[in-house]
Amino acid sequence: MSEWLFRIVINGAMISALYALIAIGFTMIFGVGGVLNLAHGALIMAGAYVFLFLTRTIFLEAVALPVLVAVPLTVAVVAGLSYGLYVGLVRYVEDDVVITFLATVIVATALTELVLGTLGDQPYDFTVLAGTTAVLGTTVSYTELLGFVVSWFAIGLLWYYVTQTDGGRSILATSMSERGAHLTGVDVGSVRARTWLIAGGLAGTAGIFLVGGDPSATPLMWLHPLALAFIIVVIGGIGSIKGSIVAAYGIGYLETLTVELLGQGFRGILSLVVLVVVLLVLPQGLYGREFVHG
Amino acid sequence: MTNATNNTTGPSKNSKSSVGRRAFLGTVGSAAVATTVAGCIEGRGGAGASGPLTIGHLAPLEISQGLGSDRSAKLAVDEINDDGGIADRDVEVVSANTRADPSTTHSETERLIQEEEVDVLVGTFSSEATQAILDLVGETGVPFLITGSAAPTSITEFIGQDYEGYKSVFRSGPINSNLQAEAMADYAEYLSDLHGWSSYGFLADDAAWTKPFSNLLPDKLESRGFDVVHEDRLSLGIDDFGPVVSDLSSADPDAVFRFFAHIIGGGLLGAWHQEQLEFGIEGIHVASMTPGFYEATEGAATYETTSQSGAAGVTDITDKTIPFVDAYQETYADDDDAPSLPMYMGFNTYDAIYVYKNAIERADTADYEGSLDDIVSALLETDHTGTAGQISFYGADSEYPHDLQETRDDDGKIANFPITQWRPEGEIECVYPEAYRTDDHVAPHWM
Repeated sequence: MSEWLFRIVINGAMISALYALIAIGFTMIFGVGGVLNLAHGALIMAGAYVFLFLTRTIFLEAVALPVLVAVPLTVAVVAGLSYGLYVGLVRYVEDDVVITFLATVIVATALTELVLGTLGDQPYDFTVLAGTTAVLGTTVSYTELLGFVVSWFAIGLLWYYVTQTDGGRSILATSMSERGAHLTGVDVGSVRARTWLIAGGLAGTAGIFLVGGDPSATPLMWLHPLALAFIIVVIGGIGSIKGSIVAAYGIGYLETLTVELLGQGFRGILSLVVLVVVLLVLPQGLYGREFVHG
Repeated sequence: MTNATNNTTGPSKNSKSSVGRRAFLGTVGSAAVATTVAGCIEGRGGAGASGPLTIGHLAPLEISQGLGSDRSAKLAVDEINDDGGIADRDVEVVSANTRADPSTTHSETERLIQEEEVDVLVGTFSSEATQAILDLVGETGVPFLITGSAAPTSITEFIGQDYEGYKSVFRSGPINSNLQAEAMADYAEYLSDLHGWSSYGFLADDAAWTKPFSNLLPDKLESRGFDVVHEDRLSLGIDDFGPVVSDLSSADPDAVFRFFAHIIGGGLLGAWHQEQLEFGIEGIHVASMTPGFYEATEGAATYETTSQSGAAGVTDITDKTIPFVDAYQETYADDDDAPSLPMYMGFNTYDAIYVYKNAIERADTADYEGSLDDIVSALLETDHTGTAGQISFYGADSEYPHDLQETRDDDGKIANFPITQWRPEGEIECVYPEAYRTDDHVAPHWM
């Protein structure tokens, strides 16, 4: 019994940490700019492929960087891509929700075509850190453990930034009330651009540890994380970082429990049921109050 | 033709057109009538017809299996044309991208039949896509040779229920998954003889094609005296193999049979190697049939097996297998989009085109609108040595009418279901059946 319990605790913690990484960037962008960034999944995919490109010789003979260099480099590249996406495209269309929605979908599908065109549909896999260990009797890989640590490290950094620095507090302020932020002298444009940069970094990190874990890198791998981010963000409360973390763990553990009790075939179904219930009963989500229309 | 006439009767927006609308309509209308009448007189195709025969190829062209099949079809057609065509007529192939999606497959099939006026259809990768077009195929009577999907219901619930309605439907490969399940159980016996393995786990995509395996394989294994210690169907959106690995570790099978076409088993393979899990991974894994899979998984595919028609061309199933793979590689050496191997669907599609050629030459007509029965009887007479094995069809009164017959060895074991294994350094060996074996199955080095 205790072994069974530990297994759920450990397996759930590993996958939930990943889900938190997937969802936070998505919720931040929505909170700050009111933009539903449907290219968020594509940025996660970019993280996986950039890491693959930097660490494997199958693409370019010359580059095969050690993991210690490749991880931060990948995060920086994807953060840059995300920043570029905002500054180069979204900034000009963000006032129109529908256009933004469509523009970000187009970016995602264009990236799919780019991957298909250059690498084909071949699924790729990698491990970030080889080896496994037992935690409370449950075997976990070093990659998963590292993902867990990095996830909390990133959350800690983000928390520090958002609550303890002026730059970060202006992000929080903008997500609470854009008009209020304007009135207190916050440069909303630069806040948004910074938010996209941070969200991109988180998405890139998620991409590395997602494919470093179980799913393979494929041209359509962005769909599932995007759907997950949606579910988590709606349950947590749109725009709330704390809500996203709580909901990520809620969904992660719910899926792990479902799999243990009902079987693998039911994996995603209960999350959708919870999503519907939350939409009906608690439409603002668990911590939805940080977000006030400006 | 009626469509063409109807379209032109709509109100013209261009009143400045130098050609009078009435005159234009008259010309188009009479042309339409003329071609319709001509069509009636000549019939479609027929041995006496002179135009080229058109083969419609259906496959998802963004995935490797579909591309391998497309290139194999083109190779077969080029060879046939170099050799004088089919019944002295040139052959051309029109490839349509089904995206493995039933509704796209349906609209593309309509286009091939009505606009491209194909004489035969070959292909379809997913069983869901296959079944979406069977009514259309049945209504038009166009011969259809299935080459990529294995669900038995594509036969039993269509031509098996209404022979006249679906008699133009054949499957020239692979053998259906009821027969595959039997072959898998035979393979388990081989593993037991070789390694002493006696307990098995079972995992499958939660999709239509794996149902026969779920329904049949565990019972077949138990009736052969083996234990089935774990059974699970996996959600197609699985992103965490942790619980699966935990379950397998505690069930402790000697080998796990997994049937993955939608799921990519990379995560399972990674855990298998890193944790040195004490079981073999056997069964079917479509992603693992792509030539680059070993490299793409950083070698995590080592020791896993998958069944695949044609056995990746590593063994001479027939005297045509290896020459075909050589010709394929030579032809597409400079084609960056072409996979470096035809893969299972490529073998089957290549064979299907020769099966059709031979049948048309026996029937002395390709006119399915006028002489479908002649074409069907000619196809039923098929006894063709293909690249993936000997091809003949089950008869009209059998359990699987027009389905590919399994071939059996002297012990009565199914033979046209080869299984390949990835080896260290990325080599592929054919490990089963005995007749085509290039090397014995190897257990993971940590077992």
